[in-house]
Amino acid sequence: MIGSLSVLGAGLAFGLGAIGPGIGVGFVAGKAIEGMARQPEMAGRIQTTMFIGMALAEAIALLGFVLAFVLFGVK
Amino acid sequence: MDLGESIQELLHELQPFAVIGNNTGKTSLILTNYMVFLIIAIALTIVFFVVASRKLTLVPKGVGNIAEWGVEFVRNNIVLDVMGSEGMVYLPFIVTVFFAVLFNNFLGLIPGLKPGTGTLGTTFAWGIMVFVVYNWVGVKKHGLVPYLKSFLPSGTPWWLVWLIYPLEVISHFLRPFTLGVRLYANMYAGHIVLGIFGIFVVMSLAALGPVTAVVGTLSLVMQIIMYAFEVFVAFIQAYVFAILTTVYLNGALHTH
Repeated sequence: MIGSLSVLGAGLAFGLGAIGPGIGVGFVAGKAIEGMARQPEMAGRIQTTMFIGMALAEAIALLGFVLAFVLFGVK
Repeated sequence: MDLGESIQELLHELQPFAVIGNNTGKTSLILTNYMVFLIIAIALTIVFFVVASRKLTLVPKGVGNIAEWGVEFVRNNIVLDVMGSEGMVYLPFIVTVFFAVLFNNFLGLIPGLKPGTGTLGTTFAWGIMVFVVYNWVGVKKHGLVPYLKSFLPSGTPWWLVWLIYPLEVISHFLRPFTLGVRLYANMYAGHIVLGIFGIFVVMSLAALGPVTAVVGTLSLVMQIIMYAFEVFVAFIQAYVFAILTTVYLNGALHTH
């Protein structure tokens, strides 16, 4: 029982934990494209900053990923 | 064999196993298959740059041209963009980090081989290395006490210090953790996705019919697309690892 619940919990931890970062990464990319379209000469700088922002947003999803693996091991 | 068993076997296939020593933890020195691929990738990196820098000419040719393009990419798109010209001191370090991660990621894309970055141990060790380096750089520039004080954002009201300071310290300690997990998770998840589409193709071939023919063909197409995407991810993850290293170094030098 505990084992199957922990598997369910692992799935939920990753699935629910990925919603926020998913929205965040999409927002970063969308705004970066907007910025690049307005000022193409700044595209390089915007792209660099975009990747940093994406990486920071992604970190939250990774915490869920690790938590899923931790829960997966619970018997 | 049903789908569940196949996926279990796939996950088991991706587990590290000992080449020298045993898995039970009795021996203290174990060489796993991932470590072998790590060593191969690092050796390839070294050979690549030794060959590239053997005959230096004004107009580079062949391997030297590729290496020079790579170093210029790191210099213009990572170091100069984030740190400006003062970051040129750290260019050798960042180029090394970038190419070590890149070669490891690409090695895992060759069928039958695995990326050295596909285990948490390796990527955590690299994250901790970056953590030590940027803190060391910060302490060397500012001195220990001013550096520790600089974790606090300027303009923090005095009555919030007890809350903000521990949070800032925790966020610093999360950095090697997220660096490691990001790289590992991307490599590991990519291999699982490729493996699962491979399983779909094989299972469709085993039970050939009108429906499974369509499913198998779609899976094969998807696998090719995902493989191309994995090549992109391998590059992007090396780029992100290098750029975050640069950002952390920059943050340690220019404390707020």
